[in-house]
Formats: sequence, C-alpha cells, structure tokens
Amino acid sequence: MIKVADLHFKYGNIDLEVLRGLSFSIEKGEFVALIGQNGAGKTTLLKQFNALLKPTGGSVQIAGLDTGKSTTGELARKVGFLFQNPDHQIFMPTVFKEIGFGPKNLHLSKAEIDHRVEEAAEAVGLSAFLGQNPLLLSKGQRQRVAFASVLSMKPEILVLDEPTTGQDYQEGIEIMEMVLKLNQLGHTIVFVTHDMELVATYAKRVIVLSHGRVLLDDSCRNVFYHPEILRQTNLFPPQIARLAQMFAQKPALFSRPLTVEEIYHEILNLPESTPNVCCS
Amino acid sequence: MTVRDHARETVISVENLTFSYPGSSLKALDGLSFRVTEGEFIGITGPTGAGKSSLVLCLNGIIPHFQEGTFLGAVKISNCDTFHTSCAELARQVGSVFQDPEAQIVAPIVEEEIAFGLENLAIPPREIDQRISESLELIGISALRHRATTQLSGGQKQRVAIAAAIALKPKILLLDEPTSELDPIGTMEVFDVLRRLNQEHNLTVVVVEQKVNILAEYVGRLLIMKNGKIAYDAPPREVISQPDLLTSVGLRPPPVGDLAFKLKQRGLYPGEVPLTVSEAYLGLSECLASRGNLHD
Repeated sequence: MIKVADLHFKYGNIDLEVLRGLSFSIEKGEFVALIGQNGAGKTTLLKQFNALLKPTGGSVQIAGLDTGKSTTGELARKVGFLFQNPDHQIFMPTVFKEIGFGPKNLHLSKAEIDHRVEEAAEAVGLSAFLGQNPLLLSKGQRQRVAFASVLSMKPEILVLDEPTTGQDYQEGIEIMEMVLKLNQLGHTIVFVTHDMELVATYAKRVIVLSHGRVLLDDSCRNVFYHPEILRQTNLFPPQIARLAQMFAQKPALFSRPLTVEEIYHEILNLPESTPNVCCS
Repeated sequence: MTVRDHARETVISVENLTFSYPGSSLKALDGLSFRVTEGEFIGITGPTGAGKSSLVLCLNGIIPHFQEGTFLGAVKISNCDTFHTSCAELARQVGSVFQDPEAQIVAPIVEEEIAFGLENLAIPPREIDQRISESLELIGISALRHRATTQLSGGQKQRVAIAAAIALKPKILLLDEPTSELDPIGTMEVFDVLRRLNQEHNLTVVVVEQKVNILAEYVGRLLIMKNGKIAYDAPPREVISQPDLLTSVGLRPPPVGDLAFKLKQRGLYPGEVPLTVSEAYLGLSECLASRGNLHD
C-alpha cells in the first residue's frame, strides 16, 4: 500500500537533508505508529504520502502511484489526512458542505455525495449538526468534522499527524476509537504522536525515526522493550513497560506487557507460593 | 537566615472569579476561588473547555486588559489587583510561557531572545548582559547562548522561553501547556528545570498540563478544573488514588497509579498509590515478594 525506497529529502536550497535514505513498506490494513523526537522528520515524511512534498532522492509509491509523478489531487483519492489543528482544514459554511467538499471535487453524482456525507457524519456522530456552521462547534466537534471530511473521500490510507494534541484524554480516545473502527474495516492507518501510552494501546507496528533515518521498525512490543535504543531518539517506553522492565532480570517475571490490563492479569495469574518453600 | 524563617506570603489570590467572553452566555470561569502561597509548585489540569487557559490569561492580566468580556470577582498578584495594575507592571511579577515555542520566540539568537523582555523594561545594558548569563545558567543552557533559535530542538526552545521569563526576575512562573508539542524527553527536561527553579530558588510555579502522569511526578498541589470551576484541589497522591475521579473529568489516570489501585482492591498492593514508575516498582516488589513470586 505504501512503499518507501531509499527516500531522501531536503527543503529548497538548504543543504541539510531532513530525510536521509528511508526504506519501508506498509501493507493494506496495517495500523502503524510513526514516532521520534522533535525534528526527526515525521511530518516531512507524512507530507510525502500525498505529494505535498516530493522526494529529492529515492521514491515513494502509494497504492501503485509514484508520488514523484502524481499530483496531490490524484493522491487525495488514496490518502486522507487528519491534521493536529482542525481549524487548518475547515473552511466551508456548513458541516454538510465541509464534509461534501472532497466528494464534490471528485465530480460524484449529487445522490452519491449526499450518501457519503450522511455516512461519514454518522460515523463520527455529527448527523444532527449537518446544517450548522462548523466554526461555531466545540473544538472536539470541529476535529470530528475534519475527520468526517476525510472519511467522505473513502481513502484507503488514513494519515493522522498528532491527532490527539490539544484534545483531552477523553476526546483523544474517541478519535482513536473511530480510527480503530476504520482499521477493522480494512483501512491502512499511519499516525504520528508523542503519546507513548496511545501507541501502546493502538498501534500494531511502530516505526521509529531518528535524524531522518529509520532507527527501529518492529512490532509495538518489540520496540517498547528496546528502551536503550528509544532513548537515543528522546523517547521512552510507556509506564507499564518501564515497570515490567525493572523485573526483567533473573528470569523475567512478565511477558512484556504494555498496558495496565495486560500486566494486571499477568500478576493475578502468577503462581502463588509461600515465600519460605524455597528455603526448606 | 532562610526564606523559610518568614511566614509564607500569599502570592496569588483569586476570589470569586467569573469571566465570560463577549457574546457568549457561557461562563468560561464560574466563581472560582483559590490562593497560592510563595514557593508552591501547582499543576492545573482538566478537560478542554474547562477554563484553564482563561484562568492563565486572568493571572497575567491579559484578561481584563487585552481581552474584553464580563469580569467579576478579583485576582490579586502579590496584593496588586490585576484590574488596576497594567500588564507591564504584572510582567515583573508573573513570567509567562506558552504552548507553542515558535509563536513565543521572536529573536534570531538565544541571547537576543533573553534580552528582549529586559530591553522593554529599560534595564541598563550592563545589567542585561549579567541577567542573560544568570538566567541561562539557572536553566542549564549556557552553551546555547549564541545559537540560532531556529536550530534548537522543541525542548531547548521551551527552556529558552523559560530563561527569557526568568530573566525578568518574576515571583511567579506561569506556563500554559509548555510541553504539548514536545517529545517525552523534552517534556522531562522542561519539568526538571521547573522543579529546580521551585526547589532551589523558591520560585512559585503554576503550570497548566494535560499529562497527569507528569504532574503526579512533579507538582505539590493539583487543581482540577471542570466547567469553569475548580472541581478538586489536593496533593497529587490524593487525586491519583481516585482514578474514577480523573476519568469522570475526562482525564487519564497514570497507568502505574491505575494498576496499584486495581491491585489494592484485591488487597494485593501495600501502602500508598504510587506517583512514579520507581515508586510502583517498590510497591509491586513488596506485593510479589509476599506472594512468593520473587526469588533472590
């Protein structure tokens, strides 16, 4: 679905490369977190996926399209983007027109546009707000409007750049639950975040960027049980992984839990024995 | 003689503060009252729309001086009523640091950024130079003095913003979500600096922050806001011990606190609910040892 091969990129005539030879592929239906320190190149990489930026070396292929030879318009049918600040992507006078804007630009029939708008609005719980001005809604609701306008394009790939920043925990979870539902329907998800608890809860695979290169690319569990490598890129594992790691010497007590539920059940299932038995 | 020999002064006093923005019937702040004593380290948290940023704007005088609206009650900073004190005057008492370092930093070079506020207060050049050195040293970023501000990491930029605020020698440092755009280590760097300023220099620190697990680790007192009111005002351990309270206001209980709470309900976790991973390690070790799961 996404194929990045020896990708290099630098901005304008600045000599320093932001992306310095990245390679990875993402298959259909994956749920991938992209993490790394401030300035690692995460957002620059995301912008390659819809040709907002084009490679200065190597290539990026999205659902078979070479981004170097494709327009952002063509790629918009394949890749949907949700940015951190919904107000950067909302500009129509009603929620209906906002959600319908993308489909309208695909020159779909009116019936199809109506259908897509209603479907997307229902998916994010905004059916009752279609006639309202999106800018008069709450921030959390505006984020859902932005989300619905992405859904109405029916993109195969959904890219989210820090979707929960500026949201509180509850709102963040609501967004991620919607994303999870889409993933279960077969959409490919790539999201960027600094929230390691969120990564531990949702991502199946984690790509760690550092100084424009891939530092680690593995399952969420394998990545978070490499604290010394994460540290190189200003990250550390979620609390539960750090806690379990402290019990990792002389046979590890836990099988690498990431969440409260996982470690809680492991603790309950540990065989209980009286402390003195070993000395008798 | 130490500062502790004196009776501690009230540096912030908020009485019955109510504020609504023009054209809105909603009260952004709804009759809230609290006091802050010199040397406290206070975290303010709560769901979006709770009024946290409005409260910050009331503490540095942007409300009522630059933001119109309906203002009732009183905010006093070191006994100066903000309603009758100019923002410039308040800036000598309260140093502010905001969410987005990009929006806050104006100068191309770090030392010029620190000098900016001082020049505006008409401090003589020789003293400006001295204050730049002092504040950079205090924050532990003297090595960045001649660096271009555009080339700094997010954590470094926020520490420059803090140094610029500190150079004005405020009594209170006020920060509105200073780490929301920072990576985990950058976040820790900022809070380590806040802790040092608070503990070693008796600076009063008030910080708005979404990450409850960071607040649990660093602050001495936690204010939880909801619907323009203060829903809870207590030491962090008291708040963390009640995960339901946190989830009921849309906040995430820190995972290690949540785990200890669950184990406690089964009588498996000894002592107090932990605030940090290290505390949780000690508690869990005890729990596992008593069940015979730990062998040396």
